[in-house]
Amino acid sequence: MAAVRTADSRQQWEIIKKNFCIDGDFSQINDSGEDLQLVVRLVQQLGAGQLVLDLALDAIWLALRQSVVPKFWQHFVTFEAQTNGKEDDAGEGSVEVMSRVATAVSELYDSAGSFVPQINRCEMLCEQSGAKFEDCIPGGLMEHFKLHLRATLHSQMPSSFMHLLHKFYSAAFKVFYQAEVGSQVEESEEVTDEPVPCGGCGGATDACHCQAITNTFCQVNKQLYGLDLLERLAGDIISSLLLSVITDHVSTTCRDSYDQSCINQLEKWVENVVVGWLELVYCGSRGQLSSADAAIQTMVSNNLNQTYMTALYHTYTTTRIDQLFNIVIEYPESQPALEDIRECLDRTHLRDRLVESLRSAIQTRLLHPGVNTTDVLHAYISAIKALRVLDPKGVLLELVSEPVRQYLRGREDTVRYIVTSLTDESCSELSEELLVAAPLVLDDSHSDDDNMDNWETWTPDPVHAHNLKSKSQRTADIISMLVNIYGSKDVFITEYRTILADRILSQFSYDTEREIRYLEHLKVRFGETLALLHKCEVMVKDVADSKRINTSINSDENPHREKQKFPVSAMILSAQFWPSFKEERLQVPEEVTKELENYTEAFQDLKGNRTLNWKPHLGQVQLEIELKNRTLNLTVTPTQATIIYHFQERNRWSIDDLSTMTQVPKTVLRRKITYWQTQGVLQEVESDVFVLVEGEETGEEGQTAAAGLPLADIAPPAIEEDEAESVMASAQDQREEELQVLWSYIVGMLTNLDCLPLERIHAMLKMFVQGSVECSPQELRAFLDRKVRQHQLLLTNGLYKLPKN
Amino acid sequence: MIVLKRSWRKYSIDNLEQVMKVKIKSWTGVATWRWVANDDSCGICRMPFDGCCSDCRLPGDDCPLVWGQCSHCFHIHCIMKWLQSQQLHQQCPMCRQEWKFKE
Repeated sequence: MAAVRTADSRQQWEIIKKNFCIDGDFSQINDSGEDLQLVVRLVQQLGAGQLVLDLALDAIWLALRQSVVPKFWQHFVTFEAQTNGKEDDAGEGSVEVMSRVATAVSELYDSAGSFVPQINRCEMLCEQSGAKFEDCIPGGLMEHFKLHLRATLHSQMPSSFMHLLHKFYSAAFKVFYQAEVGSQVEESEEVTDEPVPCGGCGGATDACHCQAITNTFCQVNKQLYGLDLLERLAGDIISSLLLSVITDHVSTTCRDSYDQSCINQLEKWVENVVVGWLELVYCGSRGQLSSADAAIQTMVSNNLNQTYMTALYHTYTTTRIDQLFNIVIEYPESQPALEDIRECLDRTHLRDRLVESLRSAIQTRLLHPGVNTTDVLHAYISAIKALRVLDPKGVLLELVSEPVRQYLRGREDTVRYIVTSLTDESCSELSEELLVAAPLVLDDSHSDDDNMDNWETWTPDPVHAHNLKSKSQRTADIISMLVNIYGSKDVFITEYRTILADRILSQFSYDTEREIRYLEHLKVRFGETLALLHKCEVMVKDVADSKRINTSINSDENPHREKQKFPVSAMILSAQFWPSFKEERLQVPEEVTKELENYTEAFQDLKGNRTLNWKPHLGQVQLEIELKNRTLNLTVTPTQATIIYHFQERNRWSIDDLSTMTQVPKTVLRRKITYWQTQGVLQEVESDVFVLVEGEETGEEGQTAAAGLPLADIAPPAIEEDEAESVMASAQDQREEELQVLWSYIVGMLTNLDCLPLERIHAMLKMFVQGSVECSPQELRAFLDRKVRQHQLLLTNGLYKLPKN
Repeated sequence: MIVLKRSWRKYSIDNLEQVMKVKIKSWTGVATWRWVANDDSCGICRMPFDGCCSDCRLPGDDCPLVWGQCSHCFHIHCIMKWLQSQQLHQQCPMCRQEWKFKE
């Protein structure tokens, strides 16, 4: 009985084993004759459901592990071995890769498919016997099977596989991309007779196998998708291909053109390419997305928005950030690009990087001695305007421009350039800016209480705005920003005063309309009350007054007019309100002195109790010089006029004699004479001796002089610089004069206290001379050292002392 | 030959000596004006005479000087203010003599 039962049960076991392929032989699964229902019932009777299921599944897993997966991988390992060495043979290689991958995948698909009936049986068994498999994973047994397949595949994956798969997908992508985008490009290309290689597969046009590639590709994708392997194996590759093509496309699109907004166009492009590619991969062909699974649809749109659009913005912004310096310089042409960046900056987190990169670009390209101050200033102005577009709150600007301001502060000619261009009509950028009638916003004006009326529209500062200056200052206008380089209005107005003085005393135009206009603008900008601007006002008024006085003195009623040899006019200045002049001496010719005296007398008659002090070296003289065969009409300075005047009496002067005659120092004289040399009137015959060149005897010197042209070969052309020379004392001289005020205090101190160290002197000066003259200890030391050199002071053991006399 | 040429040039230069004529067509000079006074600054406001008193903005005609018979002079605005503040005798702030404007 027991034997029968044993034999019986053995037979039953055989049946069960066969039906569930527990021995791992899956070949006869379909032709087993027994009715599956019976077998299942048998298992149930025996109460061995769980056992059988476990064994059956184990057999499947084993088969996967030992035959299916190794076989699949074998394809790639052998292929790798074959092609090792001829790596970059793209054309042929890709075809081979395509077919190899296709075979491998379809084989895998088939063999995995052969497990399906078995899986179904197991599932049925589960249902009927209540046996359980590892059910921690959602989904049925089929899902479970796929999970195992994936796990097994991954556990045995050869290292070269990803590389090959990448090749496979890039080949397919190239074909796709060519079809998608290339069609637009091709139209514009010139048609040539030579066989053009197909852009997609790299083969000759007539032997193009793009279509073949696409077909294989679709089949492979479908099979992989069926096995749930597509995303796992190729997901990364699919997206990395897209990302890299986005990067390439963005950088080619954005290269060197800033005058067009391209972000919308790029967005469209990305959407097109991404959707197209994902459709091809997941649905098999274009335009199928709408009919595909809802899961695929959401996946595509999620990917599109989250991954690829973000990637687009990121890439775009990074590319633009690298070009930002040029973009800034080219403002306002680059306005569209800047607007694009602004839009993208909100969607990325690249502000810090932008600041960093622009700062370093400015540092390396702008802030070095090779760049003119004007250029630095122009760049600064462009930066102000451009960064305002990016960030109307001015935080970016503040962060980026700090080094520029610091640098400009260090350049000596900055103020002069700013002021000149402010009042120069040809430099429209700033002078237009001046017309904006708004008071300056300076660092020290604390008006940043947020306006409570608009509290609803208030927005907080961006996070990286910490430790920045007040809000009002950041949004100040360009002139305010420029003035803020120095943080004080006085520096600018002082400079403006010097420039104004120079302009008046070099043009002698008596036309004050323009100056008055600028002065009014400046008054609006810098505040009515500024003492220095008041001085400028007086200066301009002096010009107008002089005009009136000249008219009245030169009018017919004037008794002196009869005897006058030539008309004299004057620019009569209120010395207290003008910057100090460079003191130069000049003895003008007798004739002129007399006329000037006449003028003074007339002035005294006109304005009782007032008289004039002439500054003989300043002015403008119109001369008519008659030479033997030519007449020159020139407008020159008094010094130049005096020089040539003396050549009337003698045609040969040495510098020494002329210097005694005119009381002009020899170095200055030499410089002034060059003017006459360039005019071809004087010539240096031996060192320091000059003779008059008449028109006639220039036979051997060339005809240029006779023709009235400058004798370039005789004269050193050094004159222009002289013309541009300022008549006002340099800033340094003016400062020296200011310090001179301190001298009387210092003398007083030292008379009373005998000897003092520098620090004491400085401290006491600070106490006595509050406000009027600011002076740093270093400056004071330099000043005192000069006094020591002039023997007006003694320095012993670090103590200053007055010399005993 | 060279000697000859040189002497010729010297000759010609001597000959041409009187040919060049410089004619001044007009002369525009630069001058600063000042009051003809025996002091630099006003004894009342201590501002320079060539500037203006502390109430004025423009110097010269708009803020003239006046002389007293004692020969002291002040900005007109300064001395007027001073005189208005004197109740009994109108005296020169410098020498305390009776203030009379110089004719």
